Amino acid sequence: MADVVKADKLARSVVEGPTLMTGAIPRKSWMDIPVVFKPGNYCYPTNPATQGYLDRQPGVSFPNVREWNPEDEDWKLQENWKEIIINGLAERLDKFRSLKIFMDCCVRCGACADKCHFFLGTGDPKNMPVLRAELLRSVYRQHFTLAGKLLGKMAGGREMTTAIIKEWFMYAYQCTECRRCSVFCPYGIDTAEITMMLRELLHLVGVGINWALGPVTNSNRTGNHMGLTPQAFKGNIDFLCEDLESLTGIKITPSFNRKGAEVLFITPSADVFAEPAIFTCMGYLLLFEAIGLDYTWSTYASEGGNFGLFTSNEMMKKLNGKMYAEAKRLGVKWILGGECGHMWRVVHQYMDTMNGPADFLEVPKSPVTGTVFDNASSTKMVHISEFTADLIYHGKLNLDKSRNSHVIATFHDSCNPARAMGLLEEPRYVLDHVVDNWFEMPESTIREKTYCCGSGTALNTSEIMELRMRGGLPRANAVKYVHDRHDVNTLACVCAIDRATLTVLMDYWVPGVKVCGVSELVGNALVMEGEKRQELDEGLRTMV
Amino acid sequence: MKLVDALRNKKEQILSRWIDRTLDSYLEPGFFKKSKDKFANPVGVNIREGLTKLYEMLLASAGQDQYAEPLDQVIRIRAVQEFTPAQAVSPILELKWVVKQVLSADKDTRPLLAELDSFDCDVDRAALAAFDIYMNCREQLHKARIFELKSGNFILSDSGCPSALIRKNSQDKSRIH
Ligand code: SF4
Ligand code: SF4
Repeated sequence: MADVVKADKLARSVVEGPTLMTGAIPRKSWMDIPVVFKPGNYCYPTNPATQGYLDRQPGVSFPNVREWNPEDEDWKLQENWKEIIINGLAERLDKFRSLKIFMDCCVRCGACADKCHFFLGTGDPKNMPVLRAELLRSVYRQHFTLAGKLLGKMAGGREMTTAIIKEWFMYAYQCTECRRCSVFCPYGIDTAEITMMLRELLHLVGVGINWALGPVTNSNRTGNHMGLTPQAFKGNIDFLCEDLESLTGIKITPSFNRKGAEVLFITPSADVFAEPAIFTCMGYLLLFEAIGLDYTWSTYASEGGNFGLFTSNEMMKKLNGKMYAEAKRLGVKWILGGECGHMWRVVHQYMDTMNGPADFLEVPKSPVTGTVFDNASSTKMVHISEFTADLIYHGKLNLDKSRNSHVIATFHDSCNPARAMGLLEEPRYVLDHVVDNWFEMPESTIREKTYCCGSGTALNTSEIMELRMRGGLPRANAVKYVHDRHDVNTLACVCAIDRATLTVLMDYWVPGVKVCGVSELVGNALVMEGEKRQELDEGLRTMV
Repeated sequence: MKLVDALRNKKEQILSRWIDRTLDSYLEPGFFKKSKDKFANPVGVNIREGLTKLYEMLLASAGQDQYAEPLDQVIRIRAVQEFTPAQAVSPILELKWVVKQVLSADKDTRPLLAELDSFDCDVDRAALAAFDIYMNCREQLHKARIFELKSGNFILSDSGCPSALIRKNSQDKSRIH
């Protein structure tokens, strides 16, 4: 004991100083705190080969292709970068009425300030939605309002500088465009759309991230994020069918690119390729087999996700267009969409004005129940949870909940289906019918108020793992609550990015909680005609 | 007055100062300090809970293995924020400083300062345990990165055009021949 005390006295000289911490952090005005890039706090910039390829594509533009490093002082912007940005902003203010309104109508009430998961995880004021928007608004004021032109900083204006470009890059990529803040704003200001504009403006001067443009490039080339060739795409699904046969005794032979099928099924390519999403895909395959759906996969429209949404309007339009072009080519009646998050935002909010209306398709009608999905009468695209809930409601599925007895679930509302399309009840209805035990997380963290996984909008890249973990803390914290209270061991969701990113998030914050798609739980519970099912203690995940 | 009684009597004061100082390490700590809602304010509330539990354990002379849970509640968060390793765990050592400040401000408790050695020792042990937890967390992050690479998501950004790959392969071959 005596020895330890001596050692302790050594430490005392340190402890008796005023503070061991960073010292009081200087509290300057947010405008005056410059951003500092260091490994782990920024996403890797776009690979020049990738950017160059995209810049050569018709209808889109990704100029200023070069090697650059966010940690360097010189970002090698074009000589007239300032003019490009200001003109770009002028053009967008003209084109998007919402942007102009969002720039003008914030009353700085602060209701949004503490609602962003990135602010809650970092304590960084520039992650408050109101200040995130102010990063752009201050420049808008300076260059586009009379008060700003006359009074500059006194009117909250800021002259555009390279420091501001750097700040935009930092904070436009610490926003997952989840729109939680907009739920609390009395004026409905959607900071996600401001972030989208910031990212577009940055692309004008060649500032973007590889994790967004990589998948965009792959989608443009091969039809999916993963860059899977048609052969590989089909091969992976065939492989899942083989697994299903050995698990359940059911032999499934899906069709690909089949003209004249009634339905085209589109889902994120991760469902076909990556764990744990493949189990969700197995759920779809079993479900379609159980009801004898006349459907086809496409190896061209082989991606539901659309990273164009995180890049630029033109890119989003181009990638979205492919789904409809393929539906037309195959002559299907309507499209059924899998468990994707942002695909639904694009379809629900933007598709109609970009590539719609899809008049060549029919208003979706379930061939099994006869239900007409009027809600999709313009986009002609139905969500798998709506479709499944309707089947259950009409008693068309034979479900045995005890096959999910290994599961105690909770449900994560993925931002886009919840806030961008209002899909709140259907997945819950499905869960009620396929698992015995599932528990809601606290009310302030679900439905419209759901917390983001922290890794959406192409932030699901490993170089910013710490940022993702702190951004995902509010979500994980609520999962931990139901895990501690009800022994929840499964986090169900309807988004492919979630399935990947929440898995890592849970491993860090709430070990012992697995992540799955709702359709995986449906697949587990389905009683199929002619099945020769093994003992599946872990449902479709069981190793046999 | 016995030291342990003093530490108990002054618990509120010590804790509030300690927690405030810890939360002051964030750029905009106002909300973290104010909101008591566990789900609206996970950083503030978890740090408050963790430090409070730790303080109670130190007073109860709990075994070192028991520190792990409250320490984890605090350090797991700080391990993924923009702190250096020293900044991440320093709040634990700061307790010694806070206790001295509070005890020396009151003439009744001032004489107890000389008796703090053993308490200080316990705090040091907690701080060492905090370093272990910090390192564990960081290791977990690296494992998470490797897991993502292995699970194939890297294909998202790193795969080239298949036809270009075929071209490249055939070029490589022609170079060999
Ligand atoms: S959209 Fe989401 S991530 Fe972006 S500022 Fe709002 S709450 Fe934060
Ligand atoms: S809630 Fe809306 S009006 Fe209030 S500060 Fe935020 S963006 Fe501005």
